[in-house]
Amino acid sequence: MHRQRPRKLTRYALGILAGLLLWPGLLPADDSLGHQFTALQAAQMAADFSLQDMDGEVHALEDYRGKVVLVNFWATWCPPCRKEMPALEALYKKLGDKDFVVLAINQWEDPDHVFAYTGELNVFPTFPILFDPDSAVSQLYHVKGLPTSFLVDPQGRLVYRAVGGRAFDHPAVEKLIRELQVRP
Amino acid sequence: MSYALKPDRPARTSLLAGVVAGLLAANVQADVTRQVNPDTGLVAWHSSGDTLDFELLQVLPDYVRAVFASRGLPAAVIDKVSSYCVFGTILKNTTDDPLGYRVADWSYQTPDGKRHTIKTKTDWVNEWQDMGLAFRWSMLPDEQTFEVDDWGQGFTTIPLQPGDRFALSYSWTRNGKVETRTIEEVECAPAEAPQID
Repeated sequence: MHRQRPRKLTRYALGILAGLLLWPGLLPADDSLGHQFTALQAAQMAADFSLQDMDGEVHALEDYRGKVVLVNFWATWCPPCRKEMPALEALYKKLGDKDFVVLAINQWEDPDHVFAYTGELNVFPTFPILFDPDSAVSQLYHVKGLPTSFLVDPQGRLVYRAVGGRAFDHPAVEKLIRELQVRP
Repeated sequence: MSYALKPDRPARTSLLAGVVAGLLAANVQADVTRQVNPDTGLVAWHSSGDTLDFELLQVLPDYVRAVFASRGLPAAVIDKVSSYCVFGTILKNTTDDPLGYRVADWSYQTPDGKRHTIKTKTDWVNEWQDMGLAFRWSMLPDEQTFEVDDWGQGFTTIPLQPGDRFALSYSWTRNGKVETRTIEEVECAPAEAPQID
């Protein structure tokens, strides 16, 4: 048993290494990550949720009424989620004190795992990371794949969606958010 | 010989028309490139030039095990998924129109000429639910509509052995029109990481 466990771990580590080598090279290049969001036809009220962050503090979507909320569904194993994280942080840094917030909702993983992961990133995310351990909230939002992002307007309406990674630091995204902030 | 020209003319015309049609078709068809990753020795196929950009990446069984093990999933799930021939699949809408796909419409053909349907994410999720698991990630979503700039990725699973070959046919819909492509000679990842010189 003592000999098997390290071997198994080595295999997993090799597998992960191979995967990391394999996947990033075949993701669309940074400049090919799009920046467009799709307007949702009939804007409905965004489904409310209450989820815990890494410190156990509860965040409810309702608490952010009056702000534009970018809701991002993600997981650590998802390469494009990792790729878009620095741009998401850059956007949050730029607009975070201007009636804008990012809520990054992790799928299925536990806080210890995610905390270790964020420590490996070049840019440490300062926006709230919330935990959706049974994917109940992602199902409420009909999320089929990761990452998927939504924009919720200050009135709490679900107004835009983006499926797949995005260059969140693109000026067009900032412009869209600023428009939503003043839209009646 | 001149008498033969008249009867031949329609044939020549249709031959010419066929060649032109073929050239036009070739122009709108995708380019499929096969690329070996120099770091891993694993193969990827990339079909570009279409309204749907499509990439298929060999994935080692050990990598699949690692992905599912690190989610804390039970050994039965890990063993079953990693027994499949697994590919990373990346799809991207390259147009300004919505595109839709359904994995249930795709198929693969084995060298014996038989055509098979592809196990969908829903098939997997139902199996996991029967085991009391709410896990529903990693696999390519069954169906999606991609709007402008949308794209997606996930595992596609084929019940074949390491190194087995097959032809993958996939399709998508744009403006109500179905487009279909086939990537020939797709090869399952080897059982273990290839030796890199």
